[in-house]
Order: sequence, then C-alpha cells, then structure tokens
Amino acid sequence: MSEDHSVITDVATGTSELDIGASIPSVLPLELIDKSIGSKIWAIMSDFHEFVGTLVGFDDFVNIILSDVTEYDVARKVVCKRSKLLLSSRNLAMLVPEGKGPEI
Amino acid sequence: MVDEKSVSASEPLDLIRLCLDEQIFVKLRGNREMTGKLHAYDSHCNIVLGDATETIYYLESGSEDVKSRKEKSELVFVRGDSVMSIADASNIGKTNA
Amino acid sequence: MSAVPTSASTSNFLSDITNSSVIVKLNNGFEYHGVLSSIDGFMNIVLENSIEMVGSKEIRKYNELFVRGNNVMYIASQ
Repeated sequence: MSEDHSVITDVATGTSELDIGASIPSVLPLELIDKSIGSKIWAIMSDFHEFVGTLVGFDDFVNIILSDVTEYDVARKVVCKRSKLLLSSRNLAMLVPEGKGPEI
Repeated sequence: MVDEKSVSASEPLDLIRLCLDEQIFVKLRGNREMTGKLHAYDSHCNIVLGDATETIYYLESGSEDVKSRKEKSELVFVRGDSVMSIADASNIGKTNA
Repeated sequence: MSAVPTSASTSNFLSDITNSSVIVKLNNGFEYHGVLSSIDGFMNIVLENSIEMVGSKEIRKYNELFVRGNNVMYIASQ
C-alpha cells in the first residue's frame, strides 16, 4: 500500500497525491460524460445490447437519460427507436461520446 | 437528495402489501412462474407463499415445443433475487397462448 | 430509501412520465407496455394496464404489475 503511494508521488514529480491532476493532464471519467450532455453518445451494455442517442443527463449511479434513441440488439440490428428513455446503469458497460454506434 | 414522494404518490412495494393474503402470480428467473397465497414479503421481494403451484417451462431436446410441468408446495419461501415480477393473480388476462 | 434519481435530469424524467404510457424493457428481453403508476429508488416499478411482450408477441395482460428493479434495462416514454 505504502509502496503504491510512493510510486504515484514519483510520477507526479514530487507533488502530493491530490495534485496529480494538475501535473498530469487527465480527464476524470465522469467529466467526459458530463461534457457529452447534449450530444450524441453510444452506450454498450454488458450483454452487447447497444443504444445510440442524445445524452440528456445522468445521475450518481450513471443511470442515463437518452433522447432520440436507436436500440440495437446483440446482432447489431436495429430493434426499435424510442423518443426518450432512462437506461439503467446495472448492465451498462461502456459509454462512447460522439459515438455513431454500430453503423460505422 | 430527491424526495421520493414527489416522484410517486405511493411506492411500488405498496402494491405487494395490498396483495397480502391474496392469490398472487410471480414470475421467476429460469422460466418459472408461481401462484399462491401471499403470506409475507420484505423489501428484497423475499416472499412466503402458501398452497403454491410452480410452473416450470422447458424445452425437451429435439423438440421446438415449450413444455411445462407443475410442482406444488404447501408453504414455500422464495428468495427475492429470483423474483422478476409480481401481480395479483385475479387480475391477469391471457391474450395469447 | 437510497434513491436512484439523484440528479435533476433523471428525477425530472421520472416525474414527467409517471402516470403516462411507458415501455419497460427487462434484461431478459421481456417488454411491458403500460401506464407507470409508481417507481422507487431501486427502479422497482408498478405498471397499470400493462401488456407483457416478447419481441412482437403478446403474452399476457396485467391490471396491475410490480416489476423488481434489478431486472429493468430501461424505461422509455411512449
């Protein structure tokens, strides 16, 4: 545990653990999602269902609200379109900002 | 934190409370359904059913038809994590086989 | 109760669609088309006058139905 800590501070060139963000350019994962609000996003579930839609918002559990959604099944065929939905985070695997979905 | 009461007038579990001592229909994981008299439940959807009939749907190898068999029990505890949905058994209308 | 809708957008959506027609899809492919009468922080849901569907096939109709939240994949407004 203490070894891990020292590695981290070395990388951060002597700054404390809390300052890592300032010295190493990085984006917090949820910051990326927050920036995607209002634009297209591609959601991939752990069972390979996929959704493409406009990200309206999300909550602490990263349950997400999508509008103008296209749902794809595991074979990447369009299942249906929905105007607005709340997608449970329970089986959410990935979120791809600007994602065009499986129709690439 | 959101006040849940502003989202919904009553909680979903209230529906189960209204089913106490009534015949209920429970869909379970693994292609199983159960009907019986609801004796008790909790917030995990653990339930105790009396005079329960479990219907198990299965495919026999080499056949496309879904078959089913029934198992009866006088008193049964169903663990909540296998529960998918619960409804009042008297309020179910079959539209298609 | 610990609430799922902790941000404005999710709780607004839920209050917007309560008492209106929704489609609830479960992880196992079952779909329920009905009127959302209540929902809690676990995404436990009560639907009124719902139709149970698999693909485009109707299975059953329920006057009132409780769906356990852990099975819910999404709730869509109709």
